[in-house]
Amino acid sequence: MTNYAQEILISDAGADERATYRKLIRQMPLTLRPELNSELAEWETLFPFERSRIREFMRGVQSFTPSTLAALTEPLRKLEQTMGVDRWDFSEETNTLENASLLARSAYYVEWRKEVQRIYLSIVNAAHSSEPPSASLSRIVVVVLPQNLPYVHAGLWDKWGGKGVEVSIHGDPGRVTELLLRGMPSVPELLRQKNGYEPSDLWLIDAEQTLTSVFPNHVDAFSINCPELQPLRERVLERVNTIPKNIVVSDATLASIRKTNWDAWWPNNLAGQPSLRRFVIDLYLSGNGALVFSNAFVQWASSEAIRRARPRVLFARFGIRAKPKPFTSIAIFENQSLVSTLPDVPDPQGSAVDASILARYIFLSVERYPESQQTAFLCLSESARSAYLIFPKAYKGNTAIANAARPEQIADWMTGFLAKS
Amino acid sequence: MSLSRRELLTEAAALLVAQWAGAHGVAESAPSISDRKVVLVTCGGMRREDTFASSGFANIPHLTQDLLPQSVFYPFLRNDGVTSHFNTISSVLSGNWQRVDDWGKTPPQSPTIYEYLRKAMGLDRNQTWFISSNKALTSQIGSSIVPGYGPNYGPNVIFPKQLLISAVVQAANQGRPVQSTDRSAVQSDIEGFLNSDNYDGLGWSVGGESSSLDSFTLGTMRQAIEDLVRTSAPATGDEFTYLVAAEVLQRFAPSMLAITFSDMEVAHFGSYSLHLSGIATMDRLVYELWSLLQSMPAYRGKTTLFILPEFGRDLDGASTNGFFNHRQNADSTRLTWMMCLGDAIRTAQIIESPVLQTDICPTIARLFDLGSLGLPGHPLPGLCL
Repeated sequence: MTNYAQEILISDAGADERATYRKLIRQMPLTLRPELNSELAEWETLFPFERSRIREFMRGVQSFTPSTLAALTEPLRKLEQTMGVDRWDFSEETNTLENASLLARSAYYVEWRKEVQRIYLSIVNAAHSSEPPSASLSRIVVVVLPQNLPYVHAGLWDKWGGKGVEVSIHGDPGRVTELLLRGMPSVPELLRQKNGYEPSDLWLIDAEQTLTSVFPNHVDAFSINCPELQPLRERVLERVNTIPKNIVVSDATLASIRKTNWDAWWPNNLAGQPSLRRFVIDLYLSGNGALVFSNAFVQWASSEAIRRARPRVLFARFGIRAKPKPFTSIAIFENQSLVSTLPDVPDPQGSAVDASILARYIFLSVERYPESQQTAFLCLSESARSAYLIFPKAYKGNTAIANAARPEQIADWMTGFLAKS
Repeated sequence: MSLSRRELLTEAAALLVAQWAGAHGVAESAPSISDRKVVLVTCGGMRREDTFASSGFANIPHLTQDLLPQSVFYPFLRNDGVTSHFNTISSVLSGNWQRVDDWGKTPPQSPTIYEYLRKAMGLDRNQTWFISSNKALTSQIGSSIVPGYGPNYGPNVIFPKQLLISAVVQAANQGRPVQSTDRSAVQSDIEGFLNSDNYDGLGWSVGGESSSLDSFTLGTMRQAIEDLVRTSAPATGDEFTYLVAAEVLQRFAPSMLAITFSDMEVAHFGSYSLHLSGIATMDRLVYELWSLLQSMPAYRGKTTLFILPEFGRDLDGASTNGFFNHRQNADSTRLTWMMCLGDAIRTAQIIESPVLQTDICPTIARLFDLGSLGLPGHPLPGLCL
């Protein structure tokens, strides 16, 4: 049994812990409460990293005496008074669109953000003083721009700011992913050899079903792909499209969608994965195109997985979208197969432009967190037979990978890097 | 990538100088105040790197090659307000930073240029129009609730794209997929919705209290629908908005017309290629609009055209997911550009000094000689007002 499964089973034992946390949250300024309360409310389905982050934050809060905590938060309380938060219809229990809208249109929004960041940093630093964070493990992220997206080698990596090295692939570029997921040693095998391995350490996010076909194991990994999620996506989209131009009704509708039992629409492979199910619903309801375009889904899912789960390994594979249809394309958030009788026509060029920037956005998401210091990032363009490898900033090991390499050599380097920690 | 102020200016200046030799003539003398017209075009969020920068020129060939050489160009226009659609556009229209409900539930808290104009000049409502592609707006955008002003002094507000969307969605809801292979078949779907007199659902406000269109306005919409069905151009929301605006110009010759384009807002759904395509559509439509104005005696030599993005978009790597959104407090989102063409231009030039979106309302007020309105902004430099 994985640590994660054990933690789910003993989650009731955490009730006291959460009650303590709720008391601590009540000591915080009003505008800090919704985020913390909503995470506590979803405790059962949080990823291990999210739980450890909350524990760390609460440990930091507890390390302050009441008077020092009051002094730390006083400027924000005063700012909230100036902003008139007490006169707002502001939810303390959960993040709402209305909360976000009220804060964003306040004349003091920028100041408010600075204060929140200052408090957060002080608390996290206090937590680190009382218990330093454990040493990080090496991680890899692999992004695949598949064969059907047309790229040429020249200029392909120009926008990546020279952060990595270009490697021409001599051989079948599709082999790199296969070797990583099924080779000897494979990435899943390497992960399983480590203590404390759990499914949220390995993510496979795919616009199509290629990664699933290479690694069909849904027990040891968090694996999601657009075709299998399509029935669910269409139902959620239908519900989202009922939202009128009214922020209060929108919040109520979104809350209702979250509470809906979607069991009939989940793919079988997500059975028994409540955290992953919640993640998918959160993703669909947080915008950023996840409900509309498969490549936007892949990017946003990857960025959110990196933010919320800090996986050891993440594979993301883009795909191809259809061309917008005349007339119906203006209602792009509608189900195009229902509103137009025209058959879908693939748009490889447009999809390639989209996937190119979205692949870079996944790297930029990695870069945002401390774990990037231990993360090797590989982007593969199968049609250009080109790879772009970005070493972690702090990496002192072998960076002498040839500018031309066989798939086996690339996979060896990646697995070698992952095995080091 | 974000361009430095100097790089942007250098690139814009190089374009201007290179093309100045072929510059078009400018009006020699100003028309009388009562003849003056203003057309204000605001577009959704576009980053400078995708427009007025070496990496973006290819997306806006008409703006850079045809219009820049005859314009006053402001490379540093700033949005210091809330970078949402309703708040930004109402700030531009009112000359005050608005901080109201993002979803258009609340009207602007200070009078709009429409109210000032109609009250001071006694203009009929049909002399002032607001035509928008943006579905985040409502009819509240045109007028405030300030005593002495308000809806009685507001413009006609219409959302053509919403009409198109509603027709498509209604057809789908009734189990009648839009036969988009046959453009003429689409016409009946759109007209059917137009005749259903449910304009509240579209957020319109035309001709005062009535929710039904008078025959003249209905004819305007029908003509625009016919034009949309006949055109070989892509059937986008902005294309339809342009065609409606063109019909309004020809039938009503309004003194003040604001148009908003929003095809580029597909960026919210994460398609960068479709976002760039929306920018290219805006570029073409703005050029067509300018050409149309030059072909109409009611407008040629009397019209000042303002073109500006509402804001940029967030930086690559921002926690707000880069080009998808426009929420970041950064130059990539707040710093944008503006181009002015026509009547108020005496010398094509680039005005390097920073200007604010709230400077636009007092500029239009000055063009119409409305006197001091006590607005916080200042008339734009470089224009003959």
